[in-house]
Amino acid sequence: MRSSSWTRRRRVGYAFIAPVFLFLCAVVLFPLGHAFYTSLLRVRGLSSTFVGFANYARVLTDDAFWHSLGVSLAFTTSCVLLHMAIGLGLALLLDGLRFARTALRIAFLTPWMVAPAVGATIWLWLLEPQFGVVNYLLVAWGAVKAPLAWLGEPALAFASVVAVDTWRGVPFVMLLMLAGLQTIPREQYEAAAIDGADAWQRFRYVTLPNLRYLLVVASTLDVINTIRHYDIIGVMTAGGPAGATEVLPVLLYNTAFRGNRFGEAAAIGVLLLAIVLAFSLLHIRAARLER
Amino acid sequence: MRNIRKLAAAVACLACVAAAAQQPIVLQWQTANLTESQYEPVWKATIAEFEAANPGIKVEPVLVARKDHWTKFVAAAQAKKAPCIVTVDLTTAAYNGYLMPLDKYWNAEPQEFRNAWSPAMLSASKWKGQLYGLPIWGGTYAEIYNRDLVTKAGLDPNKPPKTWAEYASWAKKLTGNDQWATAVLGGKTDTTTRVLLMWIWSNGGEAFNADMTEATFAKNPKSLEAIKFYLGLVKDGVAAPAPTTTNYLEQTNLFAQQKIATMRNAYWAIAKVNGDNPALKGKVFVAPGPANVPNAPTLTSVAASSISASCPNPEAAWKFIKFDAGKKWTVERAKVANWMPTRNDMADDPAFKADPLLAQFVTIGNNARSYPLPSPIWAEIAANDIVDAVQRALLSPEKTEEIFRDLDAKVTKKLKDV
Amino acid sequence: MKRTSVLRWIVALAALAVVLFPFYWMLNTSLKPQTEIFLSPPTFLSSHWSLDAYATVLTQRPVGRYFLNSLIVALGTTALSVVLAALAAYGFTRFFPRGATPFIVLLLFTKMLPETLLIIPYFRLMSDLGLLNTYAALVLAYSSFALPFSVWMLIGFFRSIPRDIDEAAMIDGATYLQAFWRVILPLARPGLVAVALFTFLIAWNSYVWALVLTTDSSMYVLSVGIANMVGEYRVQWNELMAAAVIAAVPVMVLYSLLERHLVNAITAGAVKG
Repeated sequence: MRSSSWTRRRRVGYAFIAPVFLFLCAVVLFPLGHAFYTSLLRVRGLSSTFVGFANYARVLTDDAFWHSLGVSLAFTTSCVLLHMAIGLGLALLLDGLRFARTALRIAFLTPWMVAPAVGATIWLWLLEPQFGVVNYLLVAWGAVKAPLAWLGEPALAFASVVAVDTWRGVPFVMLLMLAGLQTIPREQYEAAAIDGADAWQRFRYVTLPNLRYLLVVASTLDVINTIRHYDIIGVMTAGGPAGATEVLPVLLYNTAFRGNRFGEAAAIGVLLLAIVLAFSLLHIRAARLER
Repeated sequence: MRNIRKLAAAVACLACVAAAAQQPIVLQWQTANLTESQYEPVWKATIAEFEAANPGIKVEPVLVARKDHWTKFVAAAQAKKAPCIVTVDLTTAAYNGYLMPLDKYWNAEPQEFRNAWSPAMLSASKWKGQLYGLPIWGGTYAEIYNRDLVTKAGLDPNKPPKTWAEYASWAKKLTGNDQWATAVLGGKTDTTTRVLLMWIWSNGGEAFNADMTEATFAKNPKSLEAIKFYLGLVKDGVAAPAPTTTNYLEQTNLFAQQKIATMRNAYWAIAKVNGDNPALKGKVFVAPGPANVPNAPTLTSVAASSISASCPNPEAAWKFIKFDAGKKWTVERAKVANWMPTRNDMADDPAFKADPLLAQFVTIGNNARSYPLPSPIWAEIAANDIVDAVQRALLSPEKTEEIFRDLDAKVTKKLKDV
Repeated sequence: MKRTSVLRWIVALAALAVVLFPFYWMLNTSLKPQTEIFLSPPTFLSSHWSLDAYATVLTQRPVGRYFLNSLIVALGTTALSVVLAALAAYGFTRFFPRGATPFIVLLLFTKMLPETLLIIPYFRLMSDLGLLNTYAALVLAYSSFALPFSVWMLIGFFRSIPRDIDEAAMIDGATYLQAFWRVILPLARPGLVAVALFTFLIAWNSYVWALVLTTDSSMYVLSVGIANMVGEYRVQWNELMAAAVIAAVPVMVLYSLLERHLVNAITAGAVKG
């Protein structure tokens, strides 16, 4: 009796999760499989030869790949740290404001609502050395003597794309943090205040622990999104100057569609996927352990 | 009675068959220029007239942003569903098997049609001896000057600089308060490479060996000298700052806003300049770029119409390509979009005689080398490797020779790998 | 107390200025005439402001059609995504609770491959299915993007709805599906709204897939229409920015109206895990 209803229950359960699995198989796993398979081929236009792991060997012995990986890691780390810090900061700021909460929240969410490529195009202009508003304002206020080449010099270009990506990426984190802050029970703050904790200690011992789960989720999603992000750097610097902003997605795009070496590009993609997967699993496990 | 009925049935049957046979052939046409706003009325008219003259054929334009044109084409070509008529980087596309050879259609044409294109022009559209495209238009590069700024600096617009030395002295005089003589292109597009090549050629140097298996940017001393001179314009202060982010668009903006007095560009830039700053209409003059050797060639980028390998109706596609390459549309393109003819029988056309600037560009274009250079990996070399070297050299000028030696090695390796 | 409040406001407004400046510039440019766009020094408030660029964009380019296409695709994606995610989340929380986290990790895994690599296989897949130039192709492609986040949020949400409610509904003879549809879903509405908003946004702004999967310009979405306005020889920046403003407005309106649900949903459903 019990086992048949249990089996029936299982079957119903499968029915519920079947649609999404079918969808994933068709629309996601096929292209993924294709990408894996392509990484084992040397592709020349419409013909290809099986070369096993030769593409991987080529990629891993290419300086350009390691340089790109370094830039990607630096870019992702800076961006995610800034997203989390500023996102949390803004959430704390907005949480304490009484007036016009919704309007402010929408206002701070706006960068997220515009397509990244459009946002990047606008910033490209704002940072233009001769005609851009940023230089104009900085010179007018006397903050700098001569217009800066925001995207023309390696260090500045890197900083600029990180800044623009921060502009793009903070709203999402802020939203998650705002939600999280609202669930922290008042009593915990009151108890801490009674124990004589100051603002910083209240933040450290009440706010942060309560937000831990959200912080882990937000940072994992953010890392995955940022490390594969192409639009902002693609539009603003295309990886220049002199490779200072050439992150892996840019290298991949150039290899695939400028170099027409699809096999190699697929290998780069798979390597990137492996790196991100490893990171995500470690990250999640580390967060679990601490719990 | 029965005979009439039989006749009616036969006629009805024939009509059915005829109707079925009348399914129009649909040709897709993809070129990055379809999204150029000034060209729009011309291509719409081209399609309309062609369809009117060929009732069984419809031409469907595929609009795509220039920067994504190749990506879209390749995605479709890989699935054997590329548009029939395309204008793409010919050598690369042919090498990858995306295009159909056109020799059999070309050879079937009457001699007088074929005479309109010189062998030199056609060779730009050949790969391994086969013709893969019909050249439709080109862009010839020359040095474009702002007449007002030149006269203000006390220079004679009728005597533009012919040698590097003259150019250098002009450049010094044209640099002043919030104004520079010119702009060095160092942005991450292949226009950077185009201008660099012209400077190399103007010194009698070569960037590659004859059969494109070796790069000689640093190997050829004349090339290296040219690179140092051209990139050195920034160091000398006569070129606008931030060259590593200067592409065609930024350069033309600078010229239109009168921040630079001269630019190395093609005729199409003038339309943009006039659009942005109507006060400059008629105030530009043109001359070949300065050179240290006699008869230094300039550069003409050639765009050809090709038929993709998977096209099910190549005869119809060839019909359209021929139509589009005709004199009428050549003139329209030149007038509206400033694209130069590739035909050699246009010199007497009144449209070309009426516009002195256009005539000058045509004359300058008579001594030009075609671009892109014939290598199947040109897209990558031109837009990635060479640009990377230029950017590095602009950021560390003292390392120029070393940087270009590295470029030679890297590119030669890639060329040998093809 | 008052002083920290004022300080908060100052910081908030400063941050707001940085965040909103690009939009102000977008608007500013869209209202300027072509000749004023590259002036140096740039103009912040121009006496030549006009709606000409908007008029041109709406009449001479099929922006209305692009808008409609974007809307259909975004709504279709939202509907499909919400259905798939809700069914999956319910299935996991009620029937395979321990499978929930591994499933989310699997979904994340599918997002780790860069988009560039998926372009060619997607095209081939849609071409083989005969779906090129259809709304369906875009809906299918986009639906996978928002799934990880959607499923994660809805799993959290459904977990917070106690089983007793299901059982109470089924005691009256309802099947699992009926309990799901009639009782649980309405309770999960804030979560569904949040998922819908998130998915809509991703679908509305996506570009690469529409670029590759549609060739008929009557099927183009807004993001493609906007990108096509960047010519190499001439870019009408004011028109481009006008189109970008038109593209941004619906999302902002939608979010303004439903923002409350978004925060509530994340609060209720996703925070505790």
